[in-house]
Amino acid sequence: MALLLSVLEQGMIYGILALGVYITYKILDFPDLTVDGSFPFGAAITVRLINGFGVPAILTLPIAFLGGALVGICTGLIHVKLKVRDLLSGIIMMTGLYTINLWVAGSGYVAIFDKENIFNNSFVNSITPGFLVNFKNVIIIFLITMVAKYLLDWYMSTKSGFLLRAVGDNDTIVTSLGVDKGLVKIVGLSIANGLVSLSGCIYAQQQRSFEISIGTGAVVIGLASVIIGTSLFKKVTFFRVTSSVVVGSILYKACVAVAMFAGISPNAIKLITAVLFLIILVISMDRKKVKAC
Amino acid sequence: MKKRILAAVLTAVMAMGALTGCGSTGSKDNYTIGIMQYAVHGSLDNCREGFLQGLAEEGIVEGENLTIEYVNAQADNGTSAMTASNFVSKKVDMICAIATPCAMAAYNATMNTDIPVIYTAVSDPVEAGLANEDGTPVGNITGTSDALAVDAQLKMIREVLPEAKTIGIIYTTSEANSISTIAEYKALAGNYGFEIVDSGVTAMSEVALAAADVASKVDCITNLTDNTVVSALQTVLDEANKAGIPVFGSEVEQVKAGCVASMGLEYIELGKQTGKMAAKVLKGEAKASELNFEVISEPSLYVNFAAAEKIGLELPENYKTDAYQSFDEIVVQ
Repeated sequence: MALLLSVLEQGMIYGILALGVYITYKILDFPDLTVDGSFPFGAAITVRLINGFGVPAILTLPIAFLGGALVGICTGLIHVKLKVRDLLSGIIMMTGLYTINLWVAGSGYVAIFDKENIFNNSFVNSITPGFLVNFKNVIIIFLITMVAKYLLDWYMSTKSGFLLRAVGDNDTIVTSLGVDKGLVKIVGLSIANGLVSLSGCIYAQQQRSFEISIGTGAVVIGLASVIIGTSLFKKVTFFRVTSSVVVGSILYKACVAVAMFAGISPNAIKLITAVLFLIILVISMDRKKVKAC
Repeated sequence: MKKRILAAVLTAVMAMGALTGCGSTGSKDNYTIGIMQYAVHGSLDNCREGFLQGLAEEGIVEGENLTIEYVNAQADNGTSAMTASNFVSKKVDMICAIATPCAMAAYNATMNTDIPVIYTAVSDPVEAGLANEDGTPVGNITGTSDALAVDAQLKMIREVLPEAKTIGIIYTTSEANSISTIAEYKALAGNYGFEIVDSGVTAMSEVALAAADVASKVDCITNLTDNTVVSALQTVLDEANKAGIPVFGSEVEQVKAGCVASMGLEYIELGKQTGKMAAKVLKGEAKASELNFEVISEPSLYVNFAAAEKIGLELPENYKTDAYQSFDEIVVQ
């Protein structure tokens, strides 16, 4: 049970990260490696705010989002204004953020075990009925994830959202509409990294600690989730793409959990995860073929 | 009809008896411990081995009355967190967490349960938020720390190198343990007339550059338990050998691999000490929340004569007899 809850919690937290990766990778067609830096950046901001300044936990969410958005703007400026290639501008930001994260958090490990956080504060504790105590985290994460998802869905239906999609598909159209495509890219990157940073913020509070290496491989998890989600649910119409991305992330975490729970040699976990990942991809491809015939 | 009811009742009673029978043996004579280790690493493996030895000395033997579930988190925080939840859902009798990130994840997962956590190889439990300033636990969690005996190490370096003025230290900027140990080195170095020259790296690939730079500036190098630098120990040794200066280790594995000497920890011993604490908690003699974390009080001297000879360094005469363990060859793993 605890494992299932852990899968759901982590899956949805990384689901928010995956939403960010979805914007850059699928919509903007921009392989953004900033994610490995902006995920721990959100976590670093959070532990600093809670530990150093005693900021109410709920405020860390918007502040972490804004912090991440700023990081995204920097990546965008480096790419658009300084004309650095997309992959490289992400790598530059990711590398630089390592130092900034250490500086913001104060050290490589920061614990906030004894502090209030979004899951454990007087308000939440007072409204949680006894029988829901174990499900408190998963409910709160679910609510935040849903808010993030619906806000993103809403944004995608605005004019600015349409332009964002157009830049990735065919940027000539955007230029012909008299809109600066560089600006649209910067906006997209800032929203994406804001979401990633938000996900780091929640992760730090769920784990009640910050560790400098939590960002390593974050972009890979995000990409895997996006690909699992979008390819498995390609033909499912009642699911929005954003929902499938979040479900993809939960499935990815479930793969890891299955490998662990099956009692396979712990040293083989990563390989098993890779194989399960491959199986999911192949299954979804088969489905596509069947539909095509 | 009556017979049937009787049979049903009897079956039910027997089944209940069987169930309760199982229950009592499960809780008293057989323990389950979930061990979560952060990474594949010689010292951490020794901790685990020592932990099992310590338990065995107290009569809790794997395979007889102890079931071990072992997971290596592969240096991944997500995996650590999930492992801890997995242990909680399996309702293990205790979680043994090896290295700081695992200890933090285990504490986080068990906070609302009554599963005790015993950690080891955590350099600074206070900094990691696992213990209060006075050494008392913050919750149902305790264990052993592998904090270095900085003072003893400095004293030994002074004995070996009476003329030396500077000591170089290479560390990883992200490792909180290293940063706090360096602060301790800097505070104590003056007492022995040393000056510390430190150089921070962020990844293993930078160790070679930092080592070459430090080696050109100092009279000797001393190691911390810094995971990244220790993993690149051979690189550090190469650069130091080129410069003809000795490298001092922080624990036995490093001395075996070519460091000249160390006043250091024996991780097997540390593990044993942890195992004994765990046995106390399992047997109900003490609660994890009542035991302060422990450190190894007396560091032991480890010497590698082959490494000293390689750079033409003469070690004090008494080291041959005084060393807890000495090596006559360099064993590169």
